[in-house]
Amino acid sequence: MRTFRRGLLVGALALLVGIVVRLRGKGAVIPRTTGGWRELEGPDFR
Amino acid sequence: MSTVLLVGAGATGARAARQLADTHGIDRVVVADRKPDRAAALADALGAIADVVPIDQPFPRGVDAVASAVPARTGAVVAQRAIEAGVSVAAVADDRDGIAALLALHGGARDAGILVAVGCGLVPGLGDVLARHAADALDRADEAHVAHVGAAGPACVAAVRRARREPPLEWVDGAWHTPSPRGHQLIWFPDPVGERECEVVAPGVELLREAVPELERACVRVGEVPIRRPAVALLRRKPLDDGWAGARVEVWGWRDGGRDTVVYGVIERPAVAAGTVLAITAAALAGALPNVEWRTPRPTGAHGLGAVVDATTFLAELARRGVKAAVFEGFAVA
Repeated sequence: MRTFRRGLLVGALALLVGIVVRLRGKGAVIPRTTGGWRELEGPDFR
Repeated sequence: MSTVLLVGAGATGARAARQLADTHGIDRVVVADRKPDRAAALADALGAIADVVPIDQPFPRGVDAVASAVPARTGAVVAQRAIEAGVSVAAVADDRDGIAALLALHGGARDAGILVAVGCGLVPGLGDVLARHAADALDRADEAHVAHVGAAGPACVAAVRRARREPPLEWVDGAWHTPSPRGHQLIWFPDPVGERECEVVAPGVELLREAVPELERACVRVGEVPIRRPAVALLRRKPLDDGWAGARVEVWGWRDGGRDTVVYGVIERPAVAAGTVLAITAAALAGALPNVEWRTPRPTGAHGLGAVVDATTFLAELARRGVKAAVFEGFAVA
């Protein structure tokens, strides 16, 4: 019975950790560069 | 004044027709489609400038250029008829066999003294022109990566699906190579498209190489097949198509003795982007756009768009019509 309870506890903890890790993994992916887009204008076309 | 025959009145053809009708040097647009009622509806929408001809009839007289907005394999048949009539062609092409079929017309087109411009859409097409422009900004370019997402009509969606199913192809150190796995990569497009996972495909990479022949490494990536039915999106747990298309062109090389890169991006509604590129090319072939120049005087044969058109004047005309490319100005972060 004691072994069963320990197994249940370990399983519950693993489930909890799994949920936390999965939730944390759903964030935005960070690009390797930073900056911005500028529209090509007159000087770019000369 | 000039006349352009537009073959194909689908999503891309309809946008190209509007652009052609709005071009100052064009006074007649002749529309042909395998569905006569669709061609008639498009001609009605354009007004007095447009006529309709049956698609299986001989070429109408007085045509100065052909704009082909049909799938590339059908486009090769259209181009063959144009060669026989001695008329230059601008053709959209987005599948490997279709591109090969159009390029195979090179000898006939050269002998007839006309140009078959292959791949006049977003990618292939505008992507190759941007790659050429980026390569010209460097002292020497040796690597180019083009990626695109989105699709115009059902034929374009089918072409994306086919491209992702067929063996991929990339140019590495002077030889063709099939990457395994398929070179999945997260690509950042200008907003609102944002980041998309893309994979290496075969269609378009030959035309990219032709546009920038000095490349030692070249590849074309495409994003996931757009999903347009909510039930399918729900079942596959994928986002519904937002209606945008994007292209990102990254060219690496050397400038002022150091390694450097030029990154261009463009976003637009897919049919608008492809239709505008097609219309500008056809109008330039018809002689209606003297401001758009060619890289060599009066090119002949079958070539990719990026290899024959002057990138700077073409992009300027495209921007004047509202399809604006952007350059990424940034730096690496840890």
